[in-house]
Amino acid sequence: MTTTSRAQRGREHREARQRAKQQQQRKQRLMFAIVGAVVLVLAVVIGVLTVGESADRAAVPSTTEVAGDPTIEGEPLPGAPEDPSTDQAAGDPVPVASGADFDGEPVTVGEPGTPQLVMFMASWCPACQEELPEVVEWLDAGGLPEDVEIVSVATSLDDTRPNWPPQDWFEEEGYDGPVLVDDVSSSVAEAYGLQATPYWVAIDGDGQVAVRVSGMIGQEQLDALADTVSGT
Amino acid sequence: MIAVAERSFAVLALVAIVITVVAGTALVTRRPPPWLADAALPLATAIAVVATGGSLLLSEVAGYTPCTLCWYQRIAMYPLVIVLGVAAMRGDRSAWRVSVPLSGIGAAIAIWHIAIERRPSLGGACDPAAPCSLIWVREFGFLTLPTMALIGFVAIATLSLVARHRHA
Repeated sequence: MTTTSRAQRGREHREARQRAKQQQQRKQRLMFAIVGAVVLVLAVVIGVLTVGESADRAAVPSTTEVAGDPTIEGEPLPGAPEDPSTDQAAGDPVPVASGADFDGEPVTVGEPGTPQLVMFMASWCPACQEELPEVVEWLDAGGLPEDVEIVSVATSLDDTRPNWPPQDWFEEEGYDGPVLVDDVSSSVAEAYGLQATPYWVAIDGDGQVAVRVSGMIGQEQLDALADTVSGT
Repeated sequence: MIAVAERSFAVLALVAIVITVVAGTALVTRRPPPWLADAALPLATAIAVVATGGSLLLSEVAGYTPCTLCWYQRIAMYPLVIVLGVAAMRGDRSAWRVSVPLSGIGAAIAIWHIAIERRPSLGGACDPAAPCSLIWVREFGFLTLPTMALIGFVAIATLSLVARHRHA
């Protein structure tokens, strides 16, 4: 009898401890949840209080307002390969793209007669943002041969991405060469086989592909690129 | 609304830095207080939930297209919600065996992503669809999305290790 009651007391004691532990765990979980919710709410409140008034979106032009409406004649080029030396399109005639710059002045890319260096730039692209100042410096230093023309194509237009609008960026970087504004579908870029930006297409005087290069190239490669089409 | 969400995530990232420092110090001294050891797994779960929810909000609502490296970090982060959530419910102190390797992989990818953000030339040309060098968010001057992911991974790994000291 005594042994049974002792065992029962022990069991009751264990059960009581178990219940107390469970209760403590429930309290602890509730406390964690409350603290978590408070931290979350505080973060949102700080977010609301510290984020300033949104910029005046009306003053910023939209993609469709910036985009041009270029016409493209000729066969589109295939996608540019990563290794320019394996480019199957070398020697092929480039499509002729006619459109306008940001001010509506006419700009043409690919017309036979004058060799061209065409740089496809996306204002939001960090690699383009690094490349353009290099190009401006190279141009200012007289790197471009007299018989070669440089033309930029503002492409991959997207007003939801940083560094918008592109015309402000070109101006801030001091680039004052011609800029052909691509359409919302990046048709000119697609016709020239753009895979990534920045993208360079060196076109000889006959309007044929000399070299196509994707990625940043720097001033030395710019010299080499210009030399390939100079005098053609 | 998205700007508020971005700022809120940045504030939470700062909170996560503080938590990591506290948990890391406790780990180094090998004497995590009982409340921290008990809170470690729920906290780590909360961080994984916020990181997962945040990444989905920014891609699906804000329309920020995830790049390849973002996807790799997601692959490391998303399972942690389940792994840590179940471990927190069960009081499983061995969750670190899964969460630390996953967090380590995610942190390594996040570091490479941050490097590309800071030096775009490391990442090569920009993929027009989703370049990894594109900085969608920059809060307080340094908190970009992979930076916040890195903070999340380090916090989760540290807390998972602290949870080893949890009382049975």
